[in-house]
Amino acid sequence: MNKGLKLTDVLVTIVISIVFGVVYKLWGPLYNVVKPLGLHIDQLMYGMWFIAATVAFLLIRKPGVALLAEVTASSGEFLMGSEYGLEVLLYGVFQGLGAELVFLLFFYRRFDVVVVSLAAIGSAIGSIVLDASKGYIGDLALWNLSLYISARVIGSILLAGIFAHILVKALEKTGVTSLLRQSSAADHDALNR
Amino acid sequence: MEPIIDLKKLRLKFPGEERLLLKDTNLTIYKGEKVLLLGPSGCGKSTLLQVLGGIIPRSIDVPMKAEHRQLPNSVGYVFQDPECQFCMPYVDEEIAFVLENLQVPRVEMRDKITEYLRKVGLHDVPLHTKINSLSGGQKQRLAIASILALEPEVLLLDEPTAMLDPYGTKQVWSTILDIMTDQTLIVVEHKIDHVIDLIERIIVFDESGEILVDSPKKEVIDRHLPLLKSHGIWYPGVWEEYLSCKVRRESSTSTSSGSIMIMKDFHVYRKKEVYASVDELKIDQGEWITVVGENGAGKSTLLLGMMQLLKTSGDYEIHGVRVIPKIDLSRKIAYVFQNPEFQFVAHSVFDEVAFSLRLEGEEESVIEKKVDELLTKFSLFDHRHKHPYQLSMGQKRRLSVATAILNKQKILLLDEPTFGQDSKNTFELLELLEKERKAGTVIVMITHDERIVENFATRKWMMKEGKIVEDTFVTKRKAVYS
Amino acid sequence: MNAMKETWMYHINPTFKLFVMLVVFILILLIHNPNTLLNVTMLLFLLFLLFNGHSLKVVLLLLLPFLLIFVSTSSSMIMFGKGDTTWVKWGLIHITEESFFRGIHIGLRALAFGLLGLLFSLTTKPVNLFYSLMQQARLSPKYAYSFLAGYRLIPIMLEEFQVIHRAMKVRGVGRQKGWSGIVNKLKAYTIPLLSQSIRRAFRIGVAMEAKQFTTNAKRTYYYKIGFSKRDLYFVCVISLILTSAYILSTHFPYVPIQDVRYETTLTL
Ligand SMILES: Nc1ncnc2c1ncn2[C@@H]1O[C@H](COP(=O)(O)OP(=O)(O)OP(=O)(O)O)[C@@H](O)[C@H]1O
Ligand SMILES: Nc1ncnc2c1ncn2[C@@H]1O[C@H](COP(=O)(O)OP(=O)(O)OP(=O)(O)O)[C@@H](O)[C@H]1O
Ligand SMILES: [Mg+2]
Ligand SMILES: [Mg+2]
Repeated sequence: MNKGLKLTDVLVTIVISIVFGVVYKLWGPLYNVVKPLGLHIDQLMYGMWFIAATVAFLLIRKPGVALLAEVTASSGEFLMGSEYGLEVLLYGVFQGLGAELVFLLFFYRRFDVVVVSLAAIGSAIGSIVLDASKGYIGDLALWNLSLYISARVIGSILLAGIFAHILVKALEKTGVTSLLRQSSAADHDALNR
Repeated sequence: MEPIIDLKKLRLKFPGEERLLLKDTNLTIYKGEKVLLLGPSGCGKSTLLQVLGGIIPRSIDVPMKAEHRQLPNSVGYVFQDPECQFCMPYVDEEIAFVLENLQVPRVEMRDKITEYLRKVGLHDVPLHTKINSLSGGQKQRLAIASILALEPEVLLLDEPTAMLDPYGTKQVWSTILDIMTDQTLIVVEHKIDHVIDLIERIIVFDESGEILVDSPKKEVIDRHLPLLKSHGIWYPGVWEEYLSCKVRRESSTSTSSGSIMIMKDFHVYRKKEVYASVDELKIDQGEWITVVGENGAGKSTLLLGMMQLLKTSGDYEIHGVRVIPKIDLSRKIAYVFQNPEFQFVAHSVFDEVAFSLRLEGEEESVIEKKVDELLTKFSLFDHRHKHPYQLSMGQKRRLSVATAILNKQKILLLDEPTFGQDSKNTFELLELLEKERKAGTVIVMITHDERIVENFATRKWMMKEGKIVEDTFVTKRKAVYS
Repeated sequence: MNAMKETWMYHINPTFKLFVMLVVFILILLIHNPNTLLNVTMLLFLLFLLFNGHSLKVVLLLLLPFLLIFVSTSSSMIMFGKGDTTWVKWGLIHITEESFFRGIHIGLRALAFGLLGLLFSLTTKPVNLFYSLMQQARLSPKYAYSFLAGYRLIPIMLEEFQVIHRAMKVRGVGRQKGWSGIVNKLKAYTIPLLSQSIRRAFRIGVAMEAKQFTTNAKRTYYYKIGFSKRDLYFVCVISLILTSAYILSTHFPYVPIQDVRYETTLTL
């Protein structure tokens, strides 16, 4: 209908993503404390790094928002001096694309838990692709690798899928989403009465 | 004359609302006119102004239509709330942002910025100052400066001085008077006294957003004052009128012994620095104290300290009991914040008022009755299902006061509870408070309105630079009601 | 703020700085020789220490997570990675020579990335970065100004937190006890914080458009970000670091391993 995102869409997406950027930054040390425990328990926490994409999309419901949100959150994390450095930018792009593609597959029309969880998996795949090219994860023993991947996928469904959905439902109750979404045709019709 | 704004049959409705807010409104404004929009709080003035500025529906998606809609090419808009109209962190960057939008060459920017700041009387502020460190009055003047940079055909002002002290108010309006040339000006303002010299034409709305009168200023003042009165709108002489029809009695200064509040060497801190202090003060039952002083004098800081919301030191007693720092005083004191939005914790107007009753474990049927009664009194009943943020400025203010006075705490701290109110709601509120006071409640209230001090207060604190420099008892209150 | 000195690195064109760092990032990804990587990391660390411009206290605080990341990144590869020359085998844990060095290598790489990133964020002001991105990388102002507004909101959100806290206190929210009290409290903070920032962002958007900000029109810039000699210095320093690291590692290797990958098809 209209070309691209409106300024307010972009602003809102970016602002909440920066909030999540702060969360991402704080999540890093937490994750790294759990990580040396081995056996990839840490991977269950990984999904938090995909949450900006799903939350922003659920709020604004427009194409491009998931990608923008994830890239913003990661660059926010980066500019706050992330210990992962430039890497987070690249991860942001891949994770955002993963989620965005899933939403695209459903023509940006579905906003339920299932689709959001699929989008979270999409992000997880994005991140695993990068891991593979960087961290030599192919060189992990096979049993260990499968544990790694399944833990990450489960974690993303829990955090970036289900938790994100709950969060947005709670936000909808505050009425703030009425600012962001288009007014309904019924409201426009009422003008003619 | 050539019309610059022309609206025919404008209809507008907020999503999910039953009623049309504006129904078939016609409005024509000619080039160079200076117009004042008057009307009771919540009648749709701010909304209409946003339509005139093109903000609705371009930036805010509200269902609307009009048979004919002619709007000016460039408008400058000063918002009701000083906090949410800046998009850059520094003074110079804020004005530069406008200049960038207008594609002014970079080399000219610095001179222009200095020029606009000088025009609004901000020349003594360094260019690269953080906007957050400006006082309320300075902020509104900066907003006007950045609007000037737009060089708009039409200036739209939505109560630009609602939060300012009398001095700041005067300055802002005289700034506007100075800079006005042949631009068109449309102002929304509750109190006409400030703007009366500036304007030529007055449009009066009623509660339901219908235009009642649309006439030259003189005609409205000469002929339509009763109309303004009956719709609860401020007009020159409203106080005299109000006082004359009330039974006057001498003030009954409280006789009960035993102080409710005692402060001694009391200091309030922000970021480890003292921002307000009291040497020694006693407050007795039945007192109504008004705190006055210019913007930034430390009035709000003092009240926040009394509520233990900021760090304090020194002796502080309530009902003879020493207050332990940081303790939760919400059972003893009710508080109204300067910014009403700071107060809201629930998602609908009804729940907002019901909130504290529910905390006390009251029964739902009792709650409903009490809440509805109060909402009716504050002209909020029709809006009970709305989110507090969806209310108009004046409605938000009333809601925040309503939530505070429901719980029957014996001490009320109110930070500018009457700003942005029409006269009807102001008097309602004041009378309600007076009733509470009679019943023994202590009221400490910040205000910039001298008339309230004269007519309702029993005592006045004048604050300056964080200190109470004057503490006087108003022995002859002009109005006390039975 | 703490004592801060603007070194020459502060005056490199931000877009250019970012670009060069991205190139270095990719080059580091292509290093499989732990000797070379160790040299690179050490030299980058030196660069970081010399020119980040912040006081030692701040720097140490910021570097703390780096130790953690080194340990955490390398450990699982050390313990569970593939390899033939067994050192320790204990239950599921299987440390081999190959997995050990691969683990160290990954840890070093994470360290190098982190240093590079921190150096960038410590020496770049967001305002300059986004003005530069608009001017040199044609980033749409719509995004650039939104980012800037977002950064400005971070401290405001911290204040918002206080505001919410005060409202809770005044309205007596803290009085509820027990588990539901805690959950309520958590919800009572996060949801308003998010919804408030959404509202605030929306209002700023409205104010920006009211100031005739249009997303596709041309615009001029208050801050002009150009190029200077320092950009050249920067490229020289970086090239010097990379080449000397490479040469040193071929002539004076610390360990006799050339490639940490398990099955390498040798291309060099
Ligand atoms: N987003 C919204 N959703 C639903 N109703 C709204 C919304 N915004 C405003 N309203 C309602 O529209 C009416 C007009 O609001 P508006 O802000 O225009 O009033 P106003 O005349 O400026 O009042 P005041 O003098 O108190 O500022 C009010 O009753 C308000 O509750
Ligand atoms: N959140 C804050 N952080 C730091 N300083 C503040 C803050 N709020 C206010 N101040 C400063 O504290 C001083 C007193 O402010 P305060 O809000 O108490 O003034 P006031 O008398 O209530 O003014 P007004 O009439 O504008 O409400 C001012 O100098 C102000 O700049
Ligand atoms: Mg209004
Ligand atoms: Mg104040």
